[in-house]
Amino acid sequence: MKVSASNVLPKNKIKRTKGERAFDFVNVSIMVFWAIVSVYPFWYILVMSFNTGADAATGPIWFFPREFTLENYAYVLQYDRLHSAFIVTVLRCLIGPAISVIVCMLAAFTLSKRFLPGRKTLLFFFMIPMFIGGTIISNYVVMANFGLLNNFLVYILPGAFGFFTMIIMRTHIEQLPDELQESAMMDGAGYVRIFFQMILPLSMPVIAAFAFFAVVGNWLDYYTNLLYVTDRNLSTLQFVLYEIINRAEATQLIDFTSTSSASQRRLMSMQNNTVPTPEVIKMTVMVVVTFPLLFVYPFFQKYFVKGMLTGAVKA
Amino acid sequence: MALLKSAVPNQNISVNPKRKKSLQKQNIWVLYVFLIPAVVLTLIFAYLPMFSNYIAFLDYDFNKGWFGFGSEFVGFDNFAKFLNDDKFYELMGRTLLYSVTMMVTTFPAPLILALLLNELRGRLFKKFVQTTSYIPHFVSWVTVAGLFYMFLTVDATGIVNNLRQLIDPSAERISFMQDASNFLPVLVISEVWKETGWGTILYLAALSGIDPQQYEAAQVDGANRFQRLLYITLPGLIPTMCILLIFQLSGLFATNFDQVFNMQNKMIRLDTDTIGVYTYYQGLVSGQYSYSAAVGLFQGVISFILIMLTNYTTKRLSNVGII
Repeated sequence: MKVSASNVLPKNKIKRTKGERAFDFVNVSIMVFWAIVSVYPFWYILVMSFNTGADAATGPIWFFPREFTLENYAYVLQYDRLHSAFIVTVLRCLIGPAISVIVCMLAAFTLSKRFLPGRKTLLFFFMIPMFIGGTIISNYVVMANFGLLNNFLVYILPGAFGFFTMIIMRTHIEQLPDELQESAMMDGAGYVRIFFQMILPLSMPVIAAFAFFAVVGNWLDYYTNLLYVTDRNLSTLQFVLYEIINRAEATQLIDFTSTSSASQRRLMSMQNNTVPTPEVIKMTVMVVVTFPLLFVYPFFQKYFVKGMLTGAVKA
Repeated sequence: MALLKSAVPNQNISVNPKRKKSLQKQNIWVLYVFLIPAVVLTLIFAYLPMFSNYIAFLDYDFNKGWFGFGSEFVGFDNFAKFLNDDKFYELMGRTLLYSVTMMVTTFPAPLILALLLNELRGRLFKKFVQTTSYIPHFVSWVTVAGLFYMFLTVDATGIVNNLRQLIDPSAERISFMQDASNFLPVLVISEVWKETGWGTILYLAALSGIDPQQYEAAQVDGANRFQRLLYITLPGLIPTMCILLIFQLSGLFATNFDQVFNMQNKMIRLDTDTIGVYTYYQGLVSGQYSYSAAVGLFQGVISFILIMLTNYTTKRLSNVGII
């Protein structure tokens, strides 16, 4: 389904008035501005990450690198913690969504059976946590008591079941023709077989949409890491980025309070061009952490719009 | 022989169409097995945290047994401590100020953007703006905070200062993020930048669901573009607006931890703390679990009341509700 409303408005055959043309002009301008504002920051960090730090500190750069270098990337990609964080993040982005999809689909399949005794109660049971929840502390207490602190599973399990995801999947399963399952049952298939060989393959579009959402969520999440994981070997990319930004922020604050040391440092990095400044390092890490996701997102756009719409129809 | 016996009734069922339903009801326990993972996860990660809020009434000690059985029960002491603290009013006031401002300013943004997008004539251009406006949604708050720091810094990389100097070369370079009074505008702008585009998806979906005949009829009656917007488009969007409003209002008393936490820095931290961030620092950083559980619970209760109130109100007003 296309989210386009130009098919909503009929082709306007009446000549446009002056006011309308003025409106259109203003509107298009605003939209162009919005598009630029949305994209330019990313272009900017990309440009900066390819510019030498010393040069970037000398004056404003707008659209293209002034002094092109790959030095920043060479420097950043040597950073061990980034390697392990990358592996951890990719692993959780693969395992997390897979488990989540299975858990939600299983529940959705069961709750799509209208004849199931206790179905309403079960739905209610799943729905209540949407309105009443734990606090940071009570969540932490649960994780601690279940041995999930500094445990990779803390990235996977807490988010594995989502009520909304399940409801949307259920709506999808309910739309599948009943006769399909009935005939399979007549041929002797049990629920397990029906689920894995019939429901799962037929739900691929919905699954793709939610797997993508889950991958995005896992990739961007750093909250879990911040709260429950202190083991540096289990750090995620976003958390490493957070640390780098904060560490550089600290040096910036020193620079800010004592201007003499700031200019000294600038001078030093200017003299030997090999040391990237904290600013460019930050931007380079931001590029490394952010762009993989930005790169895959256009390919999934049609899926997630579809996924959102399925949800919207239900809501 | 036993195998054969059990096979025969099964065949009878599959032949008799009247018993199709009972066929579905066979081995129904398998379906309940399917539910086990979801139920277990919900119990552990949703219900247990709900109940372990009771540590707000304890002097919680991790070393004293599983889930604090063995910790001393202190009743409402933690709440009393919080309510008697000057910090309480400051935090409450700030949290409310931040969340109300955020809501009032960020709620209409996706609606306006969706309406403007809807008025665009070029299909391709519309698609282009839509696609680009989604991009910031796929970025973490850590990155957004990094970007904002970069753009607002005094250094040469600070785009905002660069722009100001481009317009007026004599302008002084300002370090925006060192000043707590800029924090709220930064929160608002970053939220609008990050989520507005994404927020348009639902509105655009709702817009494409409005019957085109209504527009035709209105046009025949001589309604201009603005009137069509006012009398057809907006009323058509009200259900979607209500749902989104309920979701937003339910978070009215809870600012986005991720956002606030990342946007802060050491210089302005104490002047920009909200309840969420405060509980984090008090509880997990300083180890006062019970005290910050009390603070969190206090906030949770107010939030819950707000959800119920808004749900009730919107239900009465427009027959839309989520419960």
